[in-house]
Amino acid sequence: MYLQVKLPWNVIIAPENLDIKGVLLQRAILVKVLEEFASRRAHKDLGYHIAVTSLESIGDGKVRQHTGEVLFPVVFSAITFNIFRGEVLEGRVHKVFKHGVFMRCGPMEHIYLSCTKMPGYRYVPGENPEFINEKSPPVGKDDLVRFMVIGTKWLEAEREFQALASLEGDFLGPLPRPEI
Amino acid sequence: MEKNGKGFSMPKSSLKSTPSKDDSSQKSKEGRKVQFNNGGSPEERFDYSKSNGKSSSSADKGGRGNTANVKASKSKEKEPLELRLNQELLKNAKCLMDCEAAEIIQGIQDQMTLLSQDATIKLPVSFHKGLQYSQANARYTNTHSVRRVLEYPSYFNVNVLTKLPSTLKKHGVVEGEISVIANACPESTEEVFALVPSLKSKKSILQEPLEVALMVIKPLRKVDSTSV
Repeated sequence: MYLQVKLPWNVIIAPENLDIKGVLLQRAILVKVLEEFASRRAHKDLGYHIAVTSLESIGDGKVRQHTGEVLFPVVFSAITFNIFRGEVLEGRVHKVFKHGVFMRCGPMEHIYLSCTKMPGYRYVPGENPEFINEKSPPVGKDDLVRFMVIGTKWLEAEREFQALASLEGDFLGPLPRPEI
Repeated sequence: MEKNGKGFSMPKSSLKSTPSKDDSSQKSKEGRKVQFNNGGSPEERFDYSKSNGKSSSSADKGGRGNTANVKASKSKEKEPLELRLNQELLKNAKCLMDCEAAEIIQGIQDQMTLLSQDATIKLPVSFHKGLQYSQANARYTNTHSVRRVLEYPSYFNVNVLTKLPSTLKKHGVVEGEISVIANACPESTEEVFALVPSLKSKKSILQEPLEVALMVIKPLRKVDSTSV
């Protein structure tokens, strides 16, 4: 789900961006916040960085000796996206394998739904492989599936998440395919 | 941090996530089986026990929390999976419904069309996917009304005017659960309790307010809404 978070960060401004006119300095701080927010991509607790919404406050700057840079403590609001164990979401299937499918949900690309967590489904190979069930719609490429998150993993090096999904439970499963 | 094996707990549940010894025997009997543990890096684990209100930062807790988590998860392995958000995280965070997020992110997108000429302004790589997903899942025509209804359903029930107003939050429904309910667009209270098992214990109290809430928000749904 989406989170609206308030984050306290320290922003370092280079001496050449320090201007007597306060407006340019504020712009430099905002640009720096946007740059760092974009570069960090994601946070292990907050999820994927989506957008900065507002700059709440800028504290007094502290000059760093030797470099002449100034460190400003800032507080800003932002939108992030994360998924949590026990959460129910809808994902779109983008890869189908014999033992399960991979789905994407928003910025999250690696959500794995194992065949062991798809009760009643069996794999049907072919040019367009899919999982079929006598009582429910099939699960194939580009299908929408409502699932529950049963596990998550944060990959520090890649700064991304992986997740495990399950269809075990009432009101979980693929949505009917749109009629052509 | 994950590679040293610390910080992840592996409950011995029906998920069959035990080490390769069992997996190999199963492999020979039933052919290839999906393993949640990759053979090449057995230390990598998925965190199955971030819940119970404890910190979701499993790496920070390290091995100290492993034993407690395994024991807790063993005792709860038959219980339905419940949504649990890190309470410490939520001190500075608010859970949004997808429709609320769509409005906010679309507003930023509109501003970016003016700011895009400035090369110094950078957007996160997840921005466009976040925008797309939120717009596809924005299933209500009036997000403010949906939020009010889910938090104060009794105000909309003309049959209980003489009663004190009750709120879902008053009965312990947290923000994250309200977001899950709103995003799922449930047709019935049965569906709500199935998708949010943590509310089952308060079913007798929540049944009526939830029925009212679902009845009121149903007309607020968009006619055609597909998610991405």
